[in-house]
Amino acid sequence: MSTLNDRLARLRVEAGAGALSTPAPLLCATTPTPRPRDTLRALLHAREQRRAAPRPVLAAPAGVEVAAGVYLVERTFAYAANPRLMLPWLAQAPIERSRLVCFDTETTGLAGGVGTRAFMIGVARWRADRLTVRQLYLTTMAGEAAMLRLFNAWLDPAAILVSYNGKSYDAPLLKGRLRLNHVDHRLAELPHLDWLHPVRRRYRGVFENCRLATIERQALRIVRDDDLPGAQAPAAWLAFLRGQSSRNLARVLDHNRQDVVTLMRLSDHMTASDPAAP
Amino acid sequence: MSSVDATPSGLAPSPIARLIERWSQRHGECITGHVRRPAQPARWCEFPRGLAPALRAALAARGIERLYSHQREAWDHVAAGEHVVVVTPTASGKTLCYNLPVLAAVHADRAKALYLFPTKALAQDQVAELLELNAAGTLGLRAFTFDGDTPADARQAVRLKGDIVVSNPDMLHQAILPHHTKWAQFFESLRYVVIDEVHSYRGVFGSHVANVIRRLKRVCAFYGVAPRFILCSATIGNPREHAEALLGEPVHAICDSGAPCGERHVLLWNPPVVNPDLGIRASARSQSMRLARHTIRARLKTIVFAQSRLMVEVLTKYLKDVFDHDPRKRERIRAYRGGHLPSERRHTERALRKGALDGVVSTSALELGVDIGALDVAILNGFPGSIAASWQRLGRAGRRQRPALGVLVASSAPLDQYVVRHPEFFAAATPEHARIAPDQLLILLDHIRCAAFELPFTSGDRFGDGVVDDFLAVLAEAGVLHQEGTRWDWIADSYPAGAVNLRAVADGNFVVVDRSDGKHTIIAEVDYSSAALTLYEGAIYLVQSRPWQVERLDWVGRKAFVTATHADYYTDAIDYTRLKLLARFDGCNAGQGTCHHGEVHVVRHVSGYKKIRYYSHENVGYGPVNLPDQELHTTALWWQLAQPVLEAAFASRQDALDGFLGAAHALHTVARVRAMAEGQDLQKAVGSGDAAGFASRDGNGRGQWRNAHGEAVPLAEAGSFTPTLFLYDNFPGGIGLSEPLYRAAPELVRAALELVEACDCNGGCPACIGPVLASDTPQPSQAELAVAVLSLLAA
Repeated sequence: MSTLNDRLARLRVEAGAGALSTPAPLLCATTPTPRPRDTLRALLHAREQRRAAPRPVLAAPAGVEVAAGVYLVERTFAYAANPRLMLPWLAQAPIERSRLVCFDTETTGLAGGVGTRAFMIGVARWRADRLTVRQLYLTTMAGEAAMLRLFNAWLDPAAILVSYNGKSYDAPLLKGRLRLNHVDHRLAELPHLDWLHPVRRRYRGVFENCRLATIERQALRIVRDDDLPGAQAPAAWLAFLRGQSSRNLARVLDHNRQDVVTLMRLSDHMTASDPAAP
Repeated sequence: MSSVDATPSGLAPSPIARLIERWSQRHGECITGHVRRPAQPARWCEFPRGLAPALRAALAARGIERLYSHQREAWDHVAAGEHVVVVTPTASGKTLCYNLPVLAAVHADRAKALYLFPTKALAQDQVAELLELNAAGTLGLRAFTFDGDTPADARQAVRLKGDIVVSNPDMLHQAILPHHTKWAQFFESLRYVVIDEVHSYRGVFGSHVANVIRRLKRVCAFYGVAPRFILCSATIGNPREHAEALLGEPVHAICDSGAPCGERHVLLWNPPVVNPDLGIRASARSQSMRLARHTIRARLKTIVFAQSRLMVEVLTKYLKDVFDHDPRKRERIRAYRGGHLPSERRHTERALRKGALDGVVSTSALELGVDIGALDVAILNGFPGSIAASWQRLGRAGRRQRPALGVLVASSAPLDQYVVRHPEFFAAATPEHARIAPDQLLILLDHIRCAAFELPFTSGDRFGDGVVDDFLAVLAEAGVLHQEGTRWDWIADSYPAGAVNLRAVADGNFVVVDRSDGKHTIIAEVDYSSAALTLYEGAIYLVQSRPWQVERLDWVGRKAFVTATHADYYTDAIDYTRLKLLARFDGCNAGQGTCHHGEVHVVRHVSGYKKIRYYSHENVGYGPVNLPDQELHTTALWWQLAQPVLEAAFASRQDALDGFLGAAHALHTVARVRAMAEGQDLQKAVGSGDAAGFASRDGNGRGQWRNAHGEAVPLAEAGSFTPTLFLYDNFPGGIGLSEPLYRAAPELVRAALELVEACDCNGGCPACIGPVLASDTPQPSQAELAVAVLSLLAA
């Protein structure tokens, strides 16, 4: 007997050979037939009995639980630097380095739309020759609103957002999820320096591409050890959520942490190597 | 009424009255009915009290000083907070029914409105109209279209600044709802949703749209709004019921138009019998062409509706041969159909509005409210399959205060013959009902998936009529949802709306590429379902009646490469269908046989094509087609008679088979009337039930048994012989047609029996048992054989 999923998959293919198009519209009778629902229920019943085993709950790979389903990981690094830096992309006057909020999210995918969410937000901020990286991540879906509220609380009115492609990706995505979770936020009001465009202007044609990993390796000479490619982050979180493994989620934390550290390094690089920019 | 009485009383005869008179003198025997709708004067109402002066001024500047009664009725009910559906004829000022309350709300409160039209062209017409009204009264209104052509950088402005956003259900489904947070401001102030042409949202498309509306309401609830819906429809039998099915809420229906209209004449035209022995009539095509030549020569702007895209092109060629043979003169005739590029269609619409064309030949594409100005005569080449569609097409003719003429020219198809032979039926019939099945398993699951992407579900939530828990569990098993307690969140890295098409457009489409003289130009698009029947290699593909020949078909790449040609023929595909029973859901005795309802596997195979010469319509050759079979799992009802019953009742297997084919034809006809289905939605077939063999008619109308490869085999060698008569839903998974038909099966058989017995033909004709040749007058006749089968199945 074919399962409901097989059945649905088969009907799909017929509806347009892979594409989910349907043949020309057709009329149909008054009463929806009760049968498909009953079939569905019958099939589901069989399924539910088979997969009764509860999902194991894994221990969070790092950090402390700061709200239900939300963990915080905090690391501090020595980072000796000038407390002010010139960012002519934003302002003519020097800017206090402590205002920079270098941030990056890890998300459930790249499909776009309100159904894609961030499960991890990393933020690097500098104070007195030290760089503090704070990362929030979800161990349950239900923690999302709390995570977003915590992140928003880190954004003081003087904050300047720094990202890589964040203007078109991370920020709109977070705004959507903030809206969805009824969290008022100041994301839209803060100045935002997205390095992608300045980097592109300077390095297009110089390196094979302008992805952050490439710029980091070629321009900043940073070498990552055992890095989990960003594309595997969604699967890593899912594996944790489904109780399969937390190993790769730990690697996502490392990857995300390096990303936000790189953003600060990149800010210095872009400022120092071309003081006349833009 | 059905009398033939063409002399108008009193006034000097109009060109239309003169034409009718001439026709009834010369071709009186063809006119089986003359339906007259008297002219109707306008019924007026005052503007509602409290209508803002600016709005009054804008309307006055457009020449509107009062409202038609239905416009006022719409205002009053909308003001009372009801959902309404407005059902009035073309050019009755329907748009003001929704524009007035919307403009008032925008003007007073900066409220927002979403307009949905089934096509981009209609949306653009609407924005143009709104902007004219806005300019007339300096209302400060901002109306934008939002469709696939809206540039990315303009979209944000539309979202933030648009008071009225004019879009289509596909965009709502694929671009607005899945990004609703970007539209938060818009949704928070959304007060009205206007959906025009709701009669076109029926069947599968309508079932999808009903679910998109469910999603829209769910998103609106999230933003704390419950907008009022204002729907408009062409005439259908059940506007309120249909509107309520789409919305899932009570709706007030406004069906009484206060707009004036001129006198309307409709003639039912049965082509003359050209071969009395065989009962063969002249073709509808030749008659439609003759009538169109008369009307165009009488300087009456004429629209001819044809049933297929192919027929549109053939008829356009015939009219162009008469009226457009001199290339130095302006073009007088054009074709209009789906598959033409949008720019070409816009060109034709503009030419029609300016009155620059004298004749247009169209498919149902012009049924909708595309603004083409008014015409004088509508000729329907064949019955469109429903009373509603007939009136919609006939309504294309008729300018205010001037008489309009419609002619329904019957083909030899059974429904056509039924309609012209029963003129009282046509005059009195209520238009068909629009049906949707929003809870169809596959469609519902698609939209619950999209809805879960847009907002999380909680166990026990309802979507439409039902609780969603079962569906959520299926989606969780598939890994697209994640359950935590009672909450179900979207988890997959995909954009589900992108994978759900509301209709057969977009990804499944084939493009037709012209490669003549080293060109590489796209000249048309053909939807997936008709590609196998129109774009096989060797096919003549017609655009504006110019022939192209398909040289190569890239099935996987969805491309057909064509070159211009000068063929004096066109091509028509030959296809076969075989069915296999998969599961019986229910069964009962039917007379001495059985009737069942269940699931079937349908395989449709295009085996070749015929070349048909223009004008003479003789067959001038065949060609083979080699295309993948099209498969379908769907629901069906079927009748069977056991072998002993057959052997006792029929002298030979051939007789039994002929009887089954005739019975299938009659049952299909009555079932279509009963289910109010369009021809392609409900299909018929006769086969063995295990897909080992199936029956079709040969050139003489006799039954022929074919094996699974489509090769004809003698009946004696067919092994066990249980001919099975199927009626099936032509949609994957079924769309709810066959189940109610199964419940009405005894009545269907009785009605089919009456149809054949009451037919005044001699031994069978297209109107009862299908196309048969009576030349060899077999004994018993095929009609008698069909009656025998139906009698055995009658309880």
